Amino acid sequence: MSGEATPAVSLEGVSYRYPGTNAGVFDIAFDIMPGELVVCIGPSGCGKTTLLRLIAGFLKPDGGVIRLAGDDVSQTPTRRRECGVVFQAYALFPHMRVWENVAYALRVREVTLAERRRRAHEMLELVGLSGLHNRLPTQLSGGQQQRVALARALIFKPRALLLDEPLSALDAATRVSMRDEIRRIQRGQNIASLLITHDQDEALSLADRMVVLREGRLVQLGAPQEIYDRPADAFVANFVGRANLLDAQVIDAQCVETPIGRLATPPHGYEAGSVLRVLVRPERIELVTPGIGENIFAAQVLRDRFFGATRQIEVATGNGRLEIETAARDRVANVHVPRDAIQFLRNT
Amino acid sequence: MILRCVTGCYLVYLAVPMVLLLTGSFGELWLNTLLPTGLTLRWYRDVAADPSFRRAFLSSLAVAAITCMSCAAIGLPLAYAVFRAESRRVRALSRVLYQLPVALPALVLAFGFIVVFSSDTLPWLGSIWLLAAGHVVLALPYFLQAVVADMQRLDLRTLEDAADSLGSNGWQRFAHIVLPALRHSILAGLIIVAALSIGEFQFSNLIAGFLNRTYPVVLLQAFYGATGFACAATVILLALALCAAVAGGLSAGGAARMKVTVA
Repeated sequence: MSGEATPAVSLEGVSYRYPGTNAGVFDIAFDIMPGELVVCIGPSGCGKTTLLRLIAGFLKPDGGVIRLAGDDVSQTPTRRRECGVVFQAYALFPHMRVWENVAYALRVREVTLAERRRRAHEMLELVGLSGLHNRLPTQLSGGQQQRVALARALIFKPRALLLDEPLSALDAATRVSMRDEIRRIQRGQNIASLLITHDQDEALSLADRMVVLREGRLVQLGAPQEIYDRPADAFVANFVGRANLLDAQVIDAQCVETPIGRLATPPHGYEAGSVLRVLVRPERIELVTPGIGENIFAAQVLRDRFFGATRQIEVATGNGRLEIETAARDRVANVHVPRDAIQFLRNT
Repeated sequence: MILRCVTGCYLVYLAVPMVLLLTGSFGELWLNTLLPTGLTLRWYRDVAADPSFRRAFLSSLAVAAITCMSCAAIGLPLAYAVFRAESRRVRALSRVLYQLPVALPALVLAFGFIVVFSSDTLPWLGSIWLLAAGHVVLALPYFLQAVVADMQRLDLRTLEDAADSLGSNGWQRFAHIVLPALRHSILAGLIIVAALSIGEFQFSNLIAGFLNRTYPVVLLQAFYGATGFACAATVILLALALCAAVAGGLSAGGAARMKVTVA
């Protein structure tokens, strides 16, 4: 990220507490650069939708500053913020035809009827709905409604695009194609976007950067690969991707004791005797034949699920369990945990 | 099979009184026979010629119209306030409160009105406005129920949020989104209100002044006279209520269809 460019969206210490509860978001800070797609992910109730509502202006923060293209909009009413919002259930106006829905932002801006029609058709073409401009929303499929919602949110060239779980109401097949479609349109319009989801595949595959929320707090911010490969803590490791999390006691500079046995690790700076957690991603564990060697353990299969491309196997090793994801078709006898697959996590 | 049988029996049960009324209204003489003898339009002519029925017919229409307008004027903001209330407890409580009049016997309401409005300070007993005011109390819960349910079904709040984010102000949201999105339930609610007002007897009978008695009140008198006359007068009331419902239903359906065919 270049230092000079002004972020399209910028949050500084933004907090909001729902009156009479302890729920909300607390001290959130991150930027969305022009053209960037940031995906906010977290379990339900973590405050991700609250965050979107704060940026859109449906809620006003108790503290902190929200900027759009450098302007402080923390107290600006929603309609003057110029954020395009795509809602979870699309929220298309049921009494308006597709093109009227799309053109609504232009109607309240007093654009002429002919111009409204022209631009709505243009926008509908962009989202791949050319022939359907005179339909009513109820006559469209879920994916089509989604596209209308997207067109409606983009037609007035908003300062940011906010998408609240836009794919959650779609069936699995449509979801994946719509995911690519959102990415294509977002790229084409080069618009700063925040997408809310609880689906890790969606987050990992769509995001330029990811924001992980937990109980209203930002726990990690980074590129998808960074989040996956270097999760900040056990929560992130578990929530984004599958994870083997092992309690570990440090023996010496390159060795820890875990329930599955003694593990040789990359050099770490922890003192002997300290207690921590180590992370091993299931796909990093290898099935091996020889039973002797560094970090090789005898394994007993507890569950073996075949998914075609991969197998997910749960094995008992020592006093612990490991989850393994592998393309290998071999019989499981011994497992190898490569030294460089082992990561240390903050104990949370 | 059983379902069909039950449905059939119920339909017959519903239809029999109306069929009897219709037969009676066209029959010349109906004394000790199963069916009346002779065919005539005389009873309808008589009802139409009767000045007190003509007056009552117009009074009923006027009261129904005032009641509908008042219900819309009071009910819409009220429904909106109930729907938008922040606290869940307030919403639940207000729902119970606005449904209370359903449990209130019209008789009780009428006695209350008599006590309050027979005094010298508020001597409005017998006016058409007071009649409509009572009908509003009795019919408003049904209107509110229809509209609030529709607001919830449409998730009106999110629709408004969407319009808000697209740059509309409060007035535009009301005119462009709230009102048109709710038009079916508003209309349906008003049909119920009109039908209730036209058919209301208990309250009207006690409150109406001699000069602006509503149709059902006058209708009661008819049953002391000729059977055919009473039947004809009742059929007219039925037709009146039915017309209101059909007209409302047609315009609601028509509005929906128009949207599609114009497209």
